[in-house]
Amino acid sequence: MGARSGSAQGLFNRRFLPSQSGGIWSLSGFTTFWFLAVVLPLIGIVIFSFLQTKGIRVRWDWSFEAYEKLFFYGGGQLLERTIRIAATMTIIELLLAFPFALWLAKGARNQTVKLLTFTALTVPFFLSPVARVVVWRSVMSIQGLVNTLLLDLGIVSEPVEWLIFSEFAVHLGFLGQYFPAMVWPIFLSIALIDDDYLEASKDLGASRWRTLYHVILPLSLPGIVAGFVFCFVPMLGDTIVPQQMGGGKVMMVSHNVYNMIGVRNWVMAAALASIVLAIMLSFQILLWAALRPTGGLANVFANLKR
Amino acid sequence: MAHSDFTANKADRPFLVSRPPLLRRFSESWSSSASAGIGYLVLGIIYFPILWLMILSISGEPLTGFPGEWTLRWYENMFFGSGQREGEAYGGDFNILDPLLLSILLAVITSVACMLASLAVGSVLPRISLRGPFLMTFLMPLMVPGIVAGMSIFLFFRIGLHFKMGLWSLVLAHFIWAFPFALLAMMVVASRFDQRLLEAASDLGASKLERFWQVEIPILKPGIFAAGFFGFLLSFNELPFSIFMRAGEITLPLYLWIQSGAHNTSIPLIFALSTLITIASIFLTFIAIRVGFSEKK
Repeated sequence: MGARSGSAQGLFNRRFLPSQSGGIWSLSGFTTFWFLAVVLPLIGIVIFSFLQTKGIRVRWDWSFEAYEKLFFYGGGQLLERTIRIAATMTIIELLLAFPFALWLAKGARNQTVKLLTFTALTVPFFLSPVARVVVWRSVMSIQGLVNTLLLDLGIVSEPVEWLIFSEFAVHLGFLGQYFPAMVWPIFLSIALIDDDYLEASKDLGASRWRTLYHVILPLSLPGIVAGFVFCFVPMLGDTIVPQQMGGGKVMMVSHNVYNMIGVRNWVMAAALASIVLAIMLSFQILLWAALRPTGGLANVFANLKR
Repeated sequence: MAHSDFTANKADRPFLVSRPPLLRRFSESWSSSASAGIGYLVLGIIYFPILWLMILSISGEPLTGFPGEWTLRWYENMFFGSGQREGEAYGGDFNILDPLLLSILLAVITSVACMLASLAVGSVLPRISLRGPFLMTFLMPLMVPGIVAGMSIFLFFRIGLHFKMGLWSLVLAHFIWAFPFALLAMMVVASRFDQRLLEAASDLGASKLERFWQVEIPILKPGIFAAGFFGFLLSFNELPFSIFMRAGEITLPLYLWIQSGAHNTSIPLIFALSTLITIASIFLTFIAIRVGFSEKK
C-alpha cells in the first residue's frame, strides 16, 4: 500500500490510474455479482421461453409453442390493450408534466413553494402503491363518494358504474401514480439549461413560443425520453393498478404473467415477459440514442457539477 | 437532489441584472399560471386519495358514501384483533406483527447493503472512462418492469439452478430493486467530488485508509445517507419482486396486497394500517429532505 508514494510506479499510478486499485477490484467484483443476479436471469428468461418444462425440470427442446399458444389464447389482444393504455397515459403524463416542469425550473420564484413542491413530488415514491390505489375503490365504487355526490346533487339518477373496474378507472389510477416519474427527469434537464441561452434567444428577437420550440425543447429531450421510459416501462408491468382499478375486467400483461406463474405455466409466462422485455429493450436503445448527443448518461451527472 | 445546485447558481451571480425581469415575465404570463395550475391539479389527484385514506381510517362506514361515525375501532382491531364473529360486517384475522417485523428486517438489511454497495461503486465510477456502460448496466432494473425482473430472477434461481426461495431471495430482490435508486443518489454527490482533493491528501502524506476515512467518507456522506434512505423506504414498500421471491415469507406490502385482493372485510384495517405507514413515510421523507438540504449548504 505504502509503496505507491515515491517510486516511479507510484507516480505512474497516480497520474493515470487516479482510482485506487482497491476501488477497481470492488467495482469489478460487484459488476460480476450484478451480472449474475440481474443480467443473466434476463437473458435466461428469453432462452427459457423457447424451451419446455415438466414440473420443475427443464426439457431442452427448442420450440415456438409458447408464443403460438400465447397468440392463440388472445395474447395479442392483451398486449395491444396493455401497450395502448400505457402509451396513452404516458403521452397524457408528458403533456401535463412538461409545462409544469418548465414552470418549476424556470418560472417559479418562491423558494418555499419550490421546496414544498419538491417534497410533494418526492413523497409518493415512498408510499405503498397498494394503499394509494385501493382507496380509489371507496371513492369511485357504486356506493362511493363520487356516486353519492352525483346522486345527492341530482346530476344522475342511477349510480355511474364505469367509474371503477373499467378502462377509465385504470387510466385514472395510472395518472397520479406516474406523474412524479415524468416531472423529475424533465425538470432536471430543463433546470440544466443555462439561462443565458434563453436570454440570447430573446435578445435575438425570438418570441417565447419560438424559444420554447427551438431552444428549450431540443435541450430537454434527454429528460423527456427518460421520463417516457420511467413512465411507460413500469406501467407495462404494473401489478396493482390493473388489479385494483380494473377489477379483473381490464386484463393487462402483468396480471396474466402472475396468473400463468400461479398455474405453473412458466414457459408461457416467460414468453409473455420476453415480449415485454423486447419492447423495453427497444426503448432503452431509444433512450441511449437520445442521450448520445449530450454525451451519454454519465455526462448528465458530470453536468451536475456546474 | 440536484435542484439546490440551480438555486445556488442564481444566487452566485446576482450581478446579471437583466435576469430577473425575464424570469418575471415568464412567471407572470397566463401560460405559466396554467402550467403551474395543471401540475398542482395532478398533485391534488395524487394527494387526494392519501388524505381520503386517512379520513376513512377513522370512519365507521369506510366503504360507502360519506365518512361518518368517527371511530378508532379499526386501529384497535388492527392491534388487538377484532373479536368479531362470522357474519359481522368487518373483521377477519388481521395479524400484521409478523409481516411488519419481516418488512423492517428486510428494509434494514437492504438499506445497509445499498449504503455499502453504492459507496463501493459510486466512489469509483466517476473516475473511470467507461462509466456510461457500467451505469447503464446498474440502472437496468429501472427499465425492466418489476414483475418481469422478479420472474426472471425467480426462474433463473428456482427453475434453472434449483435453489430454494426464502429470506435470501427476498433480500436479493429488494437489493436489486433499490440499488439503482441508491446509486443515482450517490452519483449526484460523487460526480461533484473534486478528485484533486484525493491527490492533495496523498501529497500531504495521508495513507490510503486515512484518505478514505477522512476525505472520501465525509464528502460522500450525503450520498451514503441518501442511499440508505432509498434502500429502506423502497424495500419497505416493495411488492412486485416480493410476489415471486417470498416462498412462504409474507412482507407487509404482500400482506396488504393479498388482503385487499381477497375480501372487502379487511379493507378498513388496510386503511388504518396504510395511514400509519403513510404518516411514517412522509415523516421520514421530510426529515431526509431537511437533512439533505442542510448538508449541502
